Amino acid sequence: MSRSHRWLIPGLGLLVAVLLLGSLAIGYAPLDLKAALGDVLAGRQSLPALVLLQLRLPRALLGAAVGFSLGLTGAAMQGLMRNPLADPGIVGVSGAAALGAVIAFYSGFANAFALALPLGGLTGAAVATALLLALARRGGGTTLLILAGVALNSLCGALTALALNLSPSPYAALEIVFWLMGSLADRSLDHVALALPFMVVGWGLVLATARGLDALTLGEDTAASLGIPLRRLRLLVIGGTAAAVGASVAVAGAIGFVGLVVPHLLRPLVGHRPGRLLLASGLGGAALTLAADIALRLLPIRPELKLGVVTALIGAPFFLALLWRLRREAE
Amino acid sequence: MRRFSRLLWFACVAAALAPLPGRADGTAAKPRRIVSLNLCADELLVALADRAHIASLTYLARDPIGSTVAQAAAGIPVNYGLAEEIVPLAPDLVIAGTFTTRTTVRLLQRLGIPVLELSVPTTPEAAAAQIRAVADRIGEPQRGADLARQLETGLAALPSPPAQPPGAVVVRPNGFTAGSGSMADALIERAGLHNLARRHPTDRMGQWSVEEIVTAQPDVLITDAAPGAPPSLAQEVLRHPALVASTARRVSVPGRLWACAGPELVDAARLLADGARADLP
Repeated sequence: MSRSHRWLIPGLGLLVAVLLLGSLAIGYAPLDLKAALGDVLAGRQSLPALVLLQLRLPRALLGAAVGFSLGLTGAAMQGLMRNPLADPGIVGVSGAAALGAVIAFYSGFANAFALALPLGGLTGAAVATALLLALARRGGGTTLLILAGVALNSLCGALTALALNLSPSPYAALEIVFWLMGSLADRSLDHVALALPFMVVGWGLVLATARGLDALTLGEDTAASLGIPLRRLRLLVIGGTAAAVGASVAVAGAIGFVGLVVPHLLRPLVGHRPGRLLLASGLGGAALTLAADIALRLLPIRPELKLGVVTALIGAPFFLALLWRLRREAE
Repeated sequence: MRRFSRLLWFACVAAALAPLPGRADGTAAKPRRIVSLNLCADELLVALADRAHIASLTYLARDPIGSTVAQAAAGIPVNYGLAEEIVPLAPDLVIAGTFTTRTTVRLLQRLGIPVLELSVPTTPEAAAAQIRAVADRIGEPQRGADLARQLETGLAALPSPPAQPPGAVVVRPNGFTAGSGSMADALIERAGLHNLARRHPTDRMGQWSVEEIVTAQPDVLITDAAPGAPPSLAQEVLRHPALVASTARRVSVPGRLWACAGPELVDAARLLADGARADLP
């Protein structure tokens, strides 16, 4: 087990690196990657350099960063709530982040003050995570948490649709799909600059909880007796999830199922230790999101599919199978 | 149950129609209660019909960004394309678009209300023909002939195209472009530009990604960025750094100028023709 773990992180890292290159190489117009890279390095303002730097690079970087955020926070939430179904998408954290970002964007606030967009997403995600954690701590188990999450998710979806319908822009109502399904189409380096700092801070906070999450598998009381400050642990996960998911959703919309599927696939490979799962799951999330984003550009379907459509096509059957197994175990 | 509710619906409609004076005279005479279900029909009615004969326009007619007749439409009642709003107005002519408010149109036709459907003209000639046809139908042939001639002479007065037409791409909100066979395409070529979107087949929706726009290397970018428009992702495409960095000349043509058949098509063509020549010797 520890042997496979040793190779797991470098292996996943390599996979993400390959997919990043693939994402740079694949697009809607033919591009000589080597020549483009040469132009970028030499500082030439050529067309290939422009396409690589302003279009392909932000898309690849955001794919990796958003995927990493979703995989990482999915693993952390599942560890903290000790609930296999906790995932930012399913329990409404992404939905709440989308609502926050939508309010910041369509009110025109984000036009006047660019950071309002990620901050809006962060606020939405933080409120939802704190609410869910409070519920999870009061007991009631998986069912209650999932039901509350589903309710929160549909409420946020409805409020997002409402906010967009009330917006004066004639295009706003069509843009509901972006916020509920997510997409990386036509994103720019501005979006990367806006979201990445928040995501990095969020990753740092969540990764710092590894030891605490391991101890928590023994139960809250035992973890506390081992000297784990539980209050701090919860705050770290809430804050980290809010920053990483909030910023992701603010620039790429709510992409579902990544945070659910990836931790489950990788958990057996890390000896079922939630602490070790964090980094592996982040890398796995980055790989899945990049692969999905490459796949939808290769599919001959235009306008291109929303990213959440592809992840849901993979994730939803997986989710149902998981529920099925949980039910069988409960019987 | 379903049959009953349908009966009830017809009873209500019949009650609403019953007190109509002069309906038995037939509808061939000059219509006096005209309702429009389409923005382009709004604009034609305001230009061609007596104001007293317009019973209702669409709510879009009052939008100063999308409509060329926002000011003139201010005092005229508006509708949202619902049959329930239209039937009580007892119209003797309804003008609708071929693609919009289909349910309403079908219902109005079943109730025997005359409906004129406007297609989307894709050439200036078709636009002129549509102006004349609408004018004839509402009993104002002279006004229609004048308006159509205004369009034709305006386009004929455009300067002749440069020997090497600069390549142009239309970038509308959401990355919508104008492919071949569209009115925009016809006007672009008429104005002395070459529409690069003809080269590439666009997708069903006619959208181009920013990558496709940039790599087409247009000399002229024709945008429809309405300054002061409310924030939307659709408008963000126009502000993408890769487009901003492009050295292409920019020509802004408000969408309302080339969305419908009307003399405003000349204004759009003139803006395009100026853009085609901005820095030519």
